[in-house]
Amino acid sequence: MPQQIKRLISAFAIVILLFLVMQQVLKPSSFGVSGHYRFLAIQENKLKELQYAGSESCIKCHEDIHIEKSDGYHAQLKCEVCHGPALRHVMYADKFENEELPDSLKLNKPDERKDCAVCHRINAARIKITFDTIDNSMIKQVDPMKHNLVHKKTKVELKCIECHYPHQP
Amino acid sequence: MSLSSSTMKQHKSNISRRDFFKAGTFIVGGIAVTSVFTPFNGILFASEAPKGKGKWYGIGIDISKCIGCGKCANACKLENNVPQEPFYFRSWVEQYTIKNDGSILVESPNGGIDGFMQSVPDEEIFKSFFVPKMCNHCAKSPCVQVCPVGATFETDDGIVLVDETYCIGCRYCVQACPYGCRYIHPEKGTVDKCSLCIHRLEKGLQPACFEICPTEARILGDLNDPDSNINSFLKNHTCMVVKPHLNTGSKLFYNALSPEVR
Amino acid sequence: MENHLQDLHEVLSKVQGYVYPNEIELNWSILIVLYPYITGLVAGAFILASLERIFKLHILKPTYGLALLTALSFMLVATMPLVSHLGKPLRAYEIMVTPHLSSAMAIFGFVYLWYLMVVLLLEIWFDYRRDMVIWANETKGIKRFLYKALSLWTTDISPKAVALDKKLGYIVTVIGVPSAFLLHGYVGFIFGSIKANPWWSTVLMPVIFLFSAIVSGIALVMLIYILLSKIRKQKIDMACLDLIARYLFYILLIDFVLEGLDQIHRIYEAEESFEVLHMLVFGKLFYTMFILQGLLGTIVPLLTLGTFQFVQPKEKIRKAVYLVTSALILIGVFFMRWNVVIGGQLFSKSFYGYTSFKIGMIGTEGYLMAAVWIIVPFIILSFLLWLLPPWKKKDEDADIQEV
Repeated sequence: MPQQIKRLISAFAIVILLFLVMQQVLKPSSFGVSGHYRFLAIQENKLKELQYAGSESCIKCHEDIHIEKSDGYHAQLKCEVCHGPALRHVMYADKFENEELPDSLKLNKPDERKDCAVCHRINAARIKITFDTIDNSMIKQVDPMKHNLVHKKTKVELKCIECHYPHQP
Repeated sequence: MSLSSSTMKQHKSNISRRDFFKAGTFIVGGIAVTSVFTPFNGILFASEAPKGKGKWYGIGIDISKCIGCGKCANACKLENNVPQEPFYFRSWVEQYTIKNDGSILVESPNGGIDGFMQSVPDEEIFKSFFVPKMCNHCAKSPCVQVCPVGATFETDDGIVLVDETYCIGCRYCVQACPYGCRYIHPEKGTVDKCSLCIHRLEKGLQPACFEICPTEARILGDLNDPDSNINSFLKNHTCMVVKPHLNTGSKLFYNALSPEVR
Repeated sequence: MENHLQDLHEVLSKVQGYVYPNEIELNWSILIVLYPYITGLVAGAFILASLERIFKLHILKPTYGLALLTALSFMLVATMPLVSHLGKPLRAYEIMVTPHLSSAMAIFGFVYLWYLMVVLLLEIWFDYRRDMVIWANETKGIKRFLYKALSLWTTDISPKAVALDKKLGYIVTVIGVPSAFLLHGYVGFIFGSIKANPWWSTVLMPVIFLFSAIVSGIALVMLIYILLSKIRKQKIDMACLDLIARYLFYILLIDFVLEGLDQIHRIYEAEESFEVLHMLVFGKLFYTMFILQGLLGTIVPLLTLGTFQFVQPKEKIRKAVYLVTSALILIGVFFMRWNVVIGGQLFSKSFYGYTSFKIGMIGTEGYLMAAVWIIVPFIILSFLLWLLPPWKKKDEDADIQEV
């Protein structure tokens, strides 16, 4: 075999060999177990931290509110819709049975007009919406910048929740 | 072959004709025989052939129930640590407004998280509706197809996931997703998308956006189970996927989807 | 990071109509414009070199070695824009370790390796082996070592061995031409196969990319040849230059027809995406598409080069025009890539609106980074020309270009 061919073949052989070795060394161990991906990645995705606790968890301590809410317009609203993610609250709140909760564990109590407006501001796209649970009742819509902005007699600015108790609006 | 042709020719052509019939019978017979054993199998599936025997997640969203509160988009960001800036969303809500003159206005201020302000006066509106958007968890995902390293994939139960420790951040999948459901996480430098809250499903909980929806406009279920809620949703409503012509095998089915929605 | 978010807020205020929220940020920026551009230059330069070799067009001899070295120096950086734009550049090796076979980008890694290792390096090696052996004996020190190492310590320069080099080199060239087509057609496929994006998704994309690649590569070699001759104070071989210009004209014409065909097809079919693309072309892409790519990069070169096919003005004028024309073509093809890559991301996949493009001066996605990857190939080329000067090759053939 001519000299230059020999040299070339050995050079290519070395490169290809190094490549194959590198491929084996660097390939993640769980790669290709189930498909063209790292199988452990599914587990890693499953291990992410939760934020929302789910409505069942709230009832354990706040059954009174659950009952109070159950025959109102907001019956099918889950607590976390307004109060925000509650998992940390659920996990640690019972450790503070008789004390005040630290701020980091307290949940939102949204009481601004804009908070209610997220669902109840007049919008043409909302008009025809009805709920399954409450027969034919359309979602109530107001103009949050006009609807009873101030108290009729005292002329004090009003929040929505002063007239509409959110758990029984 | 004309009669005036020479005998020689006649003879020749006869042979070839006979040969032809012989061959023809053989071919036709061959086809008939083969077709008895392997009949032409022309089954096409409405969306995608069912895969596996386990769970096969499908999503239903009832547009007629969506009130555009944007709670889903907000919950998604909080649950999954999505950056708060208005350029990164795993889930968002759009408002479509079709005016009387036929023009179409689409809005999604901050993904709908802060709620929607009606920007067109009532008298100009022909119709208006909200459309929640999220990853379609396609069965024939264009994003999975193009990932060069296998850092995005479909699990056996039909969830399209990202392996963020393996993603190289080439953004090819972002380009390939017809629904705009992927973004590059500004701090991580890797792609991020809806995981169908697989970490919640694992614990028997609903995904955050399903959990939080005040009108229960979202349904998640097993497409392989004929009695599942998603299958009855599909049976009882006229459902449609977005961009069906792209044949992505989308498993996000919308009820009351208008053709304007893209 | 902060700047990036500020830019995004600025872009957000410039959004017209509706774009999906994740589409406000352009994901592929100037570096991905450079990537097909540089790859195209490689393929084009190589095909010019192959013309001489395969079709025995000895008039093109003066540019043969130059074209090969140009192809190599651009090839060596071709993947760098791609790698440097990655969110996680250090993970780039994964493309080779676990290539996903259904991904055009993953296969590109292998097409690239095939082309670099098997075609370009081999062809240059066979072409220079004899000279490297001779030069190794004539030089000292590091240069001598380089020649020895590069020739893989071979010493056999008997006529028989040199003839074998030539024969093998020819075979490599024959394999090389379809490989160059494959390489750049493949880059077109990376874009053309994205069905989500109607601006990219056309079967013509690989062909258009290929022909514009050949155009840009030939123009680049032409430009470098003219400039290099000026720098080296050598006389330009006008017969060679005229022939290159003729091929450039033909291929530019094919390229023009193909791109025109693509546009006519789009206009006639007028699919769902037609309106949004139509407004894009006449709005945000107007200057880059009609002025820079169309008028300056295509029409003007076509007219000048076309005229030269019939009328031959004086040498001095031709030289000047070739210089300007090749520069114009290079700019035009760059903006062709720009219009594809950036244009394809300016409109929303909802077809309801447009985002804006803002590029930072610094940072991995900025002009500086892009400038680096445009300048580096020229530095490599100067090095290669110093190490392997094509004009010092001692060819046995009598028709050697004496310098």
